[in-house]
Amino acid sequence: MFRQLWIDLRVRLSALFGRRTLNARALEEMEFHLEMREKQLRERGIPPSEARSQARREFGNSLLLQEATLDSWKYSPLKNLLHDIGSDVRYAARWLVRAPVFTAAAIVTIALGVGVNAGLFTVLNGVLFRDLPAPDSRELVSIIQSVSGVEDHHAQDLFSLSEYVAYRDRTQTLSGVIAMAGARGGTTLGGETPQKVLGSLVSCNYFAVLQQPPVLGRGLEAQDCAPGADPVIVIGHHLWRTTFAGERGIVGRTVELSRQGFTIVGVAAEGTYSGRGPIRIGYFAPLSADGLVGGHRFENERTPWLDLIGRRQKNASLEQVRAELAVIAAQLDQKQPGRTTTLLIEQAKAVPRGRRAGATGAAAVLMTAFGFILLIACANVANLLLARGSARSQEIGIRCSLGASRARVIRQLLTESMLLSLAGGLLGSVVAVWSFQGLVPRIVPTLMPALVGDLSPDFSVLLFAVTLTVGTGLLFGLAPALHLSNPDLHGAIKQGAAGGSVSRAGGRLRGSLVGLQVALCMTLMIAAGLLSRGLYATYTADPGFAYRDVAYADLEELGSEGYEPAQAEALQRQLLENVAAIPGVVEVATVQREPLGDDIGGIRIRLHDQAENESHEAEMNVVSAGYFSLVEIPILRGRTFTQAEVADAQGETGSRPVIVSEATARNFWPGADPIGQALRQGENTLHVVGVAADVQVMTIGHVPPYYVYFPGQGGLLFFKSRTDLGATMSSVRAAVRALDPGLVVNVLPLESTLGYWRGLSRTVTGIGAGLGILALLLAAVGIYGVVSYSVRKRYREIGIRIALGAGTGNVLRTILRQTMLPVVIGAVIGAAAATAVSSILSSVLFGVSPADPIGLGGGALLALAVAIGAGVIAARPATQADPTTVLRSE
Amino acid sequence: MGRPQKPSNASAMGTLDMLILARLAQGVMHGFGIADYLHQVSDTLHVDEGSLYPALHRLESQGLIESDWGVSENNRRARFYKLTPRGRKRIAVEVSNWRRLVEAVNQVVDPLVP
Repeated sequence: MFRQLWIDLRVRLSALFGRRTLNARALEEMEFHLEMREKQLRERGIPPSEARSQARREFGNSLLLQEATLDSWKYSPLKNLLHDIGSDVRYAARWLVRAPVFTAAAIVTIALGVGVNAGLFTVLNGVLFRDLPAPDSRELVSIIQSVSGVEDHHAQDLFSLSEYVAYRDRTQTLSGVIAMAGARGGTTLGGETPQKVLGSLVSCNYFAVLQQPPVLGRGLEAQDCAPGADPVIVIGHHLWRTTFAGERGIVGRTVELSRQGFTIVGVAAEGTYSGRGPIRIGYFAPLSADGLVGGHRFENERTPWLDLIGRRQKNASLEQVRAELAVIAAQLDQKQPGRTTTLLIEQAKAVPRGRRAGATGAAAVLMTAFGFILLIACANVANLLLARGSARSQEIGIRCSLGASRARVIRQLLTESMLLSLAGGLLGSVVAVWSFQGLVPRIVPTLMPALVGDLSPDFSVLLFAVTLTVGTGLLFGLAPALHLSNPDLHGAIKQGAAGGSVSRAGGRLRGSLVGLQVALCMTLMIAAGLLSRGLYATYTADPGFAYRDVAYADLEELGSEGYEPAQAEALQRQLLENVAAIPGVVEVATVQREPLGDDIGGIRIRLHDQAENESHEAEMNVVSAGYFSLVEIPILRGRTFTQAEVADAQGETGSRPVIVSEATARNFWPGADPIGQALRQGENTLHVVGVAADVQVMTIGHVPPYYVYFPGQGGLLFFKSRTDLGATMSSVRAAVRALDPGLVVNVLPLESTLGYWRGLSRTVTGIGAGLGILALLLAAVGIYGVVSYSVRKRYREIGIRIALGAGTGNVLRTILRQTMLPVVIGAVIGAAAATAVSSILSSVLFGVSPADPIGLGGGALLALAVAIGAGVIAARPATQADPTTVLRSE
Repeated sequence: MGRPQKPSNASAMGTLDMLILARLAQGVMHGFGIADYLHQVSDTLHVDEGSLYPALHRLESQGLIESDWGVSENNRRARFYKLTPRGRKRIAVEVSNWRRLVEAVNQVVDPLVP
């Protein structure tokens, strides 16, 4: 079996490339033959001279025979195929060059379709799917665990210090294991202008295992993690280039982080993995520095807080690593009765698994929407090919009559579409990859400022673009090729190019393509309509709280700024007094979480007679007494908290007063008076003292069904300004600086929390509307093309109708009735599909229902209007058909 | 146009091809050896010696036989041919087809010619 394959392969290769060798071989064989025969004849007693000529005579015409011998090799199937493809390509290229307008239109359409998709893939690939950026990244594995059976392991997929050490020290299949965690919040980098920087806490083998040595100085080393070591950091490349102006003498200098002195021992190389996904971070510090920058996680070696990444030994497979680490996990389980650990080990990616999951859903929606554009573009090109094809039906008819097989004609037609697709795909990919690289970094930072992705195209982008291009060529080429290769031979040849009736099957195919386009376009337009409504909502919706004259100072991170707890508390109290004393400030309050901010936290609550498993997930906030009046949330029943309750809140157990939202009251006690009722949160009893109006706190447009306010001191200092808010905010900043010049506190207007949602909505709506308009444009061009083609084909018939007295309106109606049917059918299908799937957009619609009539109807009507408009414009020339000209031309 | 067409239906193999394969079924041989053998076994089957070589090359290009340089009985370099697996299967089929044909023809002509 394999031997025969090998022989065939050799034969084909020698047939292709071995002409010279074969020639020499044939000559030598004949020469040998003649010599042997001559010798044989001489042995029979024939004289030498006679023997030679007799041998030649018997052999025949050696020159002709040599030709014939070489010709034997021309029958190689591979060679035939290559020959055919070569002539197909040459023929197709000639044909395409002869029709430059058609070719350009097709190439541009394909370039657009393939381009937007290749561009999107480049971005997704760069941000989401890429391997962790490090040398030999295939060896790196991410290790995630899921622990069950024990109470205290609440951060499930993270590892504790003791677990990390166990894996690191016991593994044989991994050459190294690193642990990392984000430093708490933003740490303030001291200096002339203090600033907040993000940092990563990493194990001291970090740079060695990742094989990313710093560009200056050294990486972290074992002694840096030893107890009592001097605090050191490696600073990030970006921070070095910006804040430290790329100064080479930076190594050895001491900087302040959270008021603690750290010695800079190195500068990380550009593109060094951050330890926390594709974001830009300012510094790497040893894990043991957690306490110095405000954390309490390093102190307890059983606190789960670490992400682990390991590097496989060269000879260890992923399977071996999984097996070995599972054994270590089992050893750890034995120390804690009831505990079961499951490990998830896979190749490490630039984006950690948890964060990838959410983004993958969004990526799928985006890919689908972008895919629609490609499909619409394909339908356009297929229609172009069909229209051109019917002009060629004579040529194809003749080819078939002369004996070309159907497969042969299909191959010829597919070669043409492939050539178009390759040209378009190449153009589109190059332009798209290049322009997305420039464009995306301008869009993304508004949403995620520190995000960095490598947007340079890699092998998978190339593979994607090539697959897409070939697929596109088949997609738009196949249907026309199948259709055209089955011509009515008799009619095609007889009729010639001038008459050519529109065949029924061709009309159906064109109609379905138009229907498909309209359906896809309709779906995108409806999505765009809904998204626009969502965007409008983010600007106009009343979130239920007043934000215009309110700002807040973020004091939450005082704890991570190197203050003792008591000191931080005193500082906060002092600041509260000072801010309240600022002339423009009318009210102050402290809150744990700003409404619509990104800090969310849930508790589980239930009625006092319900079981634990009947409890409901509730959002919660901790507020001071003045909060409700400051942000103008009306207390509908009962009262707000008293000062005593707020001050008393430190002991968080036992019985506590709470204020619940209106929705909560309605859900727990429909029709009854909620005041005085009791709720249970774990072992605590919560007494309802008041009911506050519903507020959109999680996302715009969404009121949580359960929301509970606790009394207490939050880390956010809210203040309301009577005068200009900006000026008041400056005064607050000044008050902070007056207390401690090294302290940086974010002071933000409350409207900025809405700004995030508006920015998100703007981006999503921008993409949606852009795609919708692109789809509409392509579909309009497609419809225009098909209608005007059908008008041209029926010019004679129309001329006769007009000659017989048909009016303009009559003619238009006849044409539109036939050509617009697919448009209407497509529109109905598209609208139905859009309505069915629009709920996937609900998270970015901000309270607008996925069935919102204005959004749905607006998008749909616009799409329909443009589609019909394109048809009408294309059909108009029919009414100008001059009967005499038309009939004379026959 | 000038493109060579596929050889016609491979099942109707020429007599010369069949004879060559039959000879090679007995063992490896060079071109002259095959020609000489065909001369020796039968004078009726007159084979143009030269036309043997195009046939050999054609069979090789179809993957039925393969060839390699070797040393002839008088110490000269010569091209030796042998059957490939496909060639071995093929000659079996061809020979049995041939026998059936001969038998069929005999059944027709025997009663007619005394």
